[in-house]
Amino acid sequence: MAEKKPVIVRFYRFKNRLKEKTAGLAPGKVSISPEALEAAEKALQKMAEDYPDWVSGLIVKLQEQHGRCVDTPEKRRDCFEAIHHIAHDMKGQGGTFGYPLITSFADSLYGFTHIRDGISDHHVELIKAHVDAMRAIIRGRVSGDGGEIGKKLTESLNEAIEKYNKA
Amino acid sequence: MSDYDFDRVNVLLVEDSQFIRSLLVNSLKVLGVGNVYAVEHGGDAIHFLQRVKNEPMRVGVQQIDIIISNWDMHPIDGMMFLRWVRRHKDSPDRFVPFMMITSYTEPERVLQAREMGVNEMLAKPFTIKNIGEKLISIIERPRQFVHTKDYFGPDRRRQHVEPDGPDRRVLTDKSEGVEIIRG
Repeated sequence: MAEKKPVIVRFYRFKNRLKEKTAGLAPGKVSISPEALEAAEKALQKMAEDYPDWVSGLIVKLQEQHGRCVDTPEKRRDCFEAIHHIAHDMKGQGGTFGYPLITSFADSLYGFTHIRDGISDHHVELIKAHVDAMRAIIRGRVSGDGGEIGKKLTESLNEAIEKYNKA
Repeated sequence: MSDYDFDRVNVLLVEDSQFIRSLLVNSLKVLGVGNVYAVEHGGDAIHFLQRVKNEPMRVGVQQIDIIISNWDMHPIDGMMFLRWVRRHKDSPDRFVPFMMITSYTEPERVLQAREMGVNEMLAKPFTIKNIGEKLISIIERPRQFVHTKDYFGPDRRRQHVEPDGPDRRVLTDKSEGVEIIRG
């Protein structure tokens, strides 16, 4: 008898239990009803109203970390790590709740706070510029692209980035 | 055309941001999901699944049907949790559909999750429609699981695409060394 080759690959093909559970055994196309989708979308919007308060809490945390960077330069490494995490949390959510500018500023903040060595005063200043811009967004409830105000805030933040990057 | 009935579906939700967690729980409930078990990070999730395996009566759930987990969490993140689900001997169901939520959408990150055996990626910021689409994809387009010496997870080939040139796949269902398990 020929020796059986060892198994190189196993394929697992199971019957679709989840489909049976959710769609039953009746034939035909199944979907999520537009009414259910709309109701869920509304619930999301309702919760989104609390979003500015929640973000304000995170902005306060960013401010505290910035304060620590100024007061205790030897702890900047840890502060940057904390800031990097908060920025990550923020950047994922702003757009969902109608504040894409928060996402874009948080993204920018996230982008340069990964550094752990060679953190300079300029970097710390740049954090402040970001925190200020975010605060302005939330205080003014600047949703969407923010029109003229949004444009101005973005421009002045970009100017700050350029200034401190050059310096 | 009829609607999905998610009433008997058990979802394990793993998300460290309290705001997003309650938001997702609410959204899933409104979509009709019967049971949403929400925990704070991967460590809690592992603990929960171990309890489901060891004392299902006490937890009140026999089986988790879908896992929805954030990626970036402390101390155990979504990737470590996914690895545990797919590879650990204590995992109650190594085949459970796993949806990863992330704002890391860089291609190499997505690839990393795929190599660990993720089913779906939900990018932040998300809408209800996105969540619905991912749920439908999990239900309607399940993939066979593949187990090789360096991969275990859903088949990474999602679509059947005719190769441009000769087909370089070495193995077919009938090849020696291929074992097919049905259930």
